[in-house]
Amino acid sequence: MTTLHVESVSIRFGGVQALTDVNFSVQKGEFVGLIGPNGAGKTTLLKIIAGILTPDTGRVMLEGEDVTRLPTAKRVRKGLAITHQIVRPFRSMTTLDNTALAAGYKITSNPLTAAFHWRRSQQSARAAEMLAKVGLAGLEDRDVSALPLGNLKRLEVARALALDPSIIILDEPLAGLNHREAERQADTLAALNAEGLTIVLIEHNLRELVRVSKRLLVLDGGKMIADGEPEHVMSDPAVREAYVGKADDHAAA
Amino acid sequence: MTLYAYSLLSILGINIMLATSLNLISGFCGQFSLGHGAFYGAGAYAAALCAVAGYPVPVALLVGALVGGALGFVVGFASVRLREDFLVVTTIGVSFLFVGFVRKQKWLGAEMGISKIPASGLGPEGNAIMILLFAAATIALCLYLNRSWLGFAFRAVGDDEQAARTIAIPVSTYKLLAFTIGTAVAGLAGGLYTYFTQFIVPDSFTFILSVTLMAMVVIGGLGSTWGVVIAAIILTLLPEAFRFINDYRLLIYGGVLMLVMRFAPGGLAGIATSVTRRLRKA
Amino acid sequence: MYYVDLFLNGLIFGSMYALMAIGLTLVYGLLRILHISHAAVYALGAFITVIVANATGSIALGMLVAVVVSAIFGMGVYRVLYQPMLRYPPYVAMIASIGLLIFMEDAFRIIFGEQGLTFTRNPYPTQIHNLFGITINTVQIAMIVLSTICLVALALFTTRTRMGIAWRATVSNPTIATSFGVDAIKVRYLNFMIGSALAALAGGLIALLNNFVEPTMGFVVSYKALAIIVLGGLGSMRGTLIAALALGLVESFGTIWVGSYLDRDALAFLFLIIVLMVRPQGLTGAHA
Ligand SMILES: Nc1ncnc2c1ncn2[C@@H]1O[C@H](COP(=O)(O)OP(=O)(O)O)[C@@H](O)[C@H]1O
Ligand SMILES: [Mg+2]
Repeated sequence: MTTLHVESVSIRFGGVQALTDVNFSVQKGEFVGLIGPNGAGKTTLLKIIAGILTPDTGRVMLEGEDVTRLPTAKRVRKGLAITHQIVRPFRSMTTLDNTALAAGYKITSNPLTAAFHWRRSQQSARAAEMLAKVGLAGLEDRDVSALPLGNLKRLEVARALALDPSIIILDEPLAGLNHREAERQADTLAALNAEGLTIVLIEHNLRELVRVSKRLLVLDGGKMIADGEPEHVMSDPAVREAYVGKADDHAAA
Repeated sequence: MTLYAYSLLSILGINIMLATSLNLISGFCGQFSLGHGAFYGAGAYAAALCAVAGYPVPVALLVGALVGGALGFVVGFASVRLREDFLVVTTIGVSFLFVGFVRKQKWLGAEMGISKIPASGLGPEGNAIMILLFAAATIALCLYLNRSWLGFAFRAVGDDEQAARTIAIPVSTYKLLAFTIGTAVAGLAGGLYTYFTQFIVPDSFTFILSVTLMAMVVIGGLGSTWGVVIAAIILTLLPEAFRFINDYRLLIYGGVLMLVMRFAPGGLAGIATSVTRRLRKA
Repeated sequence: MYYVDLFLNGLIFGSMYALMAIGLTLVYGLLRILHISHAAVYALGAFITVIVANATGSIALGMLVAVVVSAIFGMGVYRVLYQPMLRYPPYVAMIASIGLLIFMEDAFRIIFGEQGLTFTRNPYPTQIHNLFGITINTVQIAMIVLSTICLVALALFTTRTRMGIAWRATVSNPTIATSFGVDAIKVRYLNFMIGSALAALAGGLIALLNNFVEPTMGFVVSYKALAIIVLGGLGSMRGTLIAALALGLVESFGTIWVGSYLDRDALAFLFLIIVLMVRPQGLTGAHA
């Protein structure tokens, strides 16, 4: 069954054509990697899927339904969760509250319901569980403003997981983690995928990506230039051109 | 107690209602409004018309709250869906539009306002008690909302709208709700003011009043109900205690706003938190 | 010729709004701060013009001093007030900016009195000329000429010089400055300098036209300038210019058509709301 379907999506910012006629689908239960040099349009594509940006042309379908005009919050309630490449924690809250608020999505999706609920214990417990899953156990009561980037990246993932998504799109969640931490985080994602969660992982860490994902998509200059098994895609000359030709970029990411 | 004391208590209660309701909008939900005085004025005029037409006090107060909240809903609806900074600009506009509109309306008494408003029948003491009870209820509402999931979500919206959307919070609805609740309370305060003075003029509801209310919220500490209550009390009583302050009121408000933002953007509440933190460490 | 006069009058006011609003757009584009105290710079320019003109007898000298002092003052506001606040959320600087506006307006009142000041010798507003059947006074001619010169110079500067191009690019996307090899800090000072100079010029010209300055003259203008930059799509110079002229015209014609229901200052707001309802992105802006 097709969980996510992106159809001839294009968008332009002033003089920059950020995406040109992008098409792809993700089936239920897949683990897809999305790569491409800096500026390829990966984050823009994520924002269009999440409804943060509206494409100039094309459509986005979730579980067979056209959501191109739907606001972000409604898409999230349909089972889509995302993480931000540039972390966006709620700065006035603790790590636990950041995640608990996400876990309370059923309550917060209607403000009137929210006005008549005040107990948080259930959501806090669920939040603690998610924090432990991404390796933030013990940091529940920290102010997020005091956390290093690596931990904020993990918080993004915990917050997204607390939404009970059916598909999660992660924008460079391994950046800021060291070798071992990245490996553990990728394993966590692989385990979640084994439990049935559909995952799209945007990453520059090719080592982990090739290890855990079963399919790779490659964006370059706003166009989808490859789609297939990781080994196959990595040996594609066009991909090598896009990537190796811009090796400096890639290292800088 | 003297008549002066009752009138001071009444003004204090009204200012507490106005400041805490503005804090609900700006402090809890991160939406900056510089038109709170206009919603207060709309409530005052609506209640005055009801009172003059002979309706009983509760009806006039209710109508004041409804008119304030309805106007708030319309203004909020026009700006909240749009870009983040639009609300500040439209609310400043509402300040000018409200006074500009009322001044030209014969049926609202134009420049001369509405006088000979019937008394509430409670006397100065009863009025003051009624106003203080409403002020206490407003504080209680704010404290409750801040603890509920509604306040929890408001805080997320105030922190980062886009992040709030990505955890399924319908941001615009929340912003609109905060704005409507806050402006309805302002409208109610307007109704209370009508019965307190029995005489209203357009110049009581200008941009300067809105800025003064914002000063109370910011000096108290955005988002802190108790901080804002304390700031409202200080900023209401100080000019009464020292006459010279009244002559230089705006100079002082302006200067204090700058200094607070420059050196203690958390306001009184922020200072209190950092002091207790330091004490705990010592 | 009644309508032609109204039209011209609208354009003249519009050009003053433009001079005033450009500084606001520049600051918003660069720092995402609603620089509300810009209106105090405008009032400062007006007061200095009158004071210096009355002291020296030269209105031109008064305007020159006003422009220079206000430009320096604007840079000072950035340095002393905004720069230390950039690490906080933008509302901090906005509230401080409101504080500065209130503070300065009250300071003007305390120093110069509630009534404000007038020029001791200012023959220009009453010098009426007849050009092609249009009646226009000397100050209005000066307004047209000076605002055209300023806006054309600004356009040339931002399209023909390296510094100007980098500046404009930086205003529309603040991260660009470094890639142009331009000092981002210098761009900010330039921003406040030029924006404040233009506002002071507008203040001085309005003072001449009314033959009068008063402490609260900035309040209503501050709001109109905000409405203009919102109408212009926030951060676009071209949009700001168009919105300023449009508002001038709307006020000019609106006053005679709906003036008995609404005062002139309330019209700006009505215009703002109607436009935003129809075009949420502003008059000229692209979608967000
Ligand atoms: N809001 C925006 N305004 C203008 N240009 C943008 C905007 N967002 C992204 N871009 C441009 O679109 C292109 C794609 O950016 P992005 O999606 O962030 O790439 P990636 O995530 O693959 O590194 C880049 O050239 C970037 O400069
Ligand atoms: Mg990216």
